Amino acid sequence: MAGSVNCREASRLLSLACDRDLEAGEQQALQYHLGRCIMCRNFESQLKYLRRAAERFRAGGA
Amino acid sequence: MTDPRFAEIESHRPYLLRYALSQLRDGPLAEEAVQEALVSALESVGSFNGKSTLRTWLTSILRFKVIDLQRRAVAERAHLQPVDAAETEDEAWLDALFDETGHWRSPPQAWSDPEAAFEQRRFWEVFERCLDRLPQAGGRIFFQREIVGEETEAICKAERITPSNCWVILHRARLALRSCLEKSWFASEHSLGR
Repeated sequence: MAGSVNCREASRLLSLACDRDLEAGEQQALQYHLGRCIMCRNFESQLKYLRRAAERFRAGGA
Repeated sequence: MTDPRFAEIESHRPYLLRYALSQLRDGPLAEEAVQEALVSALESVGSFNGKSTLRTWLTSILRFKVIDLQRRAVAERAHLQPVDAAETEDEAWLDALFDETGHWRSPPQAWSDPEAAFEQRRFWEVFERCLDRLPQAGGRIFFQREIVGEETEAICKAERITPSNCWVILHRARLALRSCLEKSWFASEHSLGR
């Protein structure tokens, strides 16, 4: 189907979403993929985790 | 050398060096900035009131040294290391991570209770080692984006690369860091049996 993405493209969009707002089409394709792919949902939560880890690291780590 | 905070200050040196390197892109210049910042910090440690963390306080001192040295470096631009073009060409390294149908070759696993890792000193050693393994520009740009919290636009300008090159570099760095943390911590014995 038009607008569907694979894991490789989904990982790119997930990373991109950390840096800028996704366009409607990108967002839609990504959400469709995430609804069906646990691996990319894991990657999504790990990206959020990396951000929290980075904040913690800035303050001094453990 | 009687203040116990001297040793503690010194323990932040690797972090501060990484910070300076991400801003200055020049090893010797970064060392110089950190050295000057640590000397200032040691002189004024009495004024550290503990309202922020020690690292935050040290970083604020370092920031001024970095700005000073940046001004000096503008005069000798050629000195700065540009981003290696190979780091922005994504196809080859993405092929190593995804198969020809675009599926993960080694799919991200669910990490159990990752917040608990924050409390462990060894986790941060692993985190720093994983940062060190990133490609040069990748490590620097990831640091600026995620740890300093700089906007991509400002990073591109400073690095003289296009936004899309910047996004490729960040995508690659995040994938590499994720994979390194999974291998070195979440899937290894460090995080088990605790």
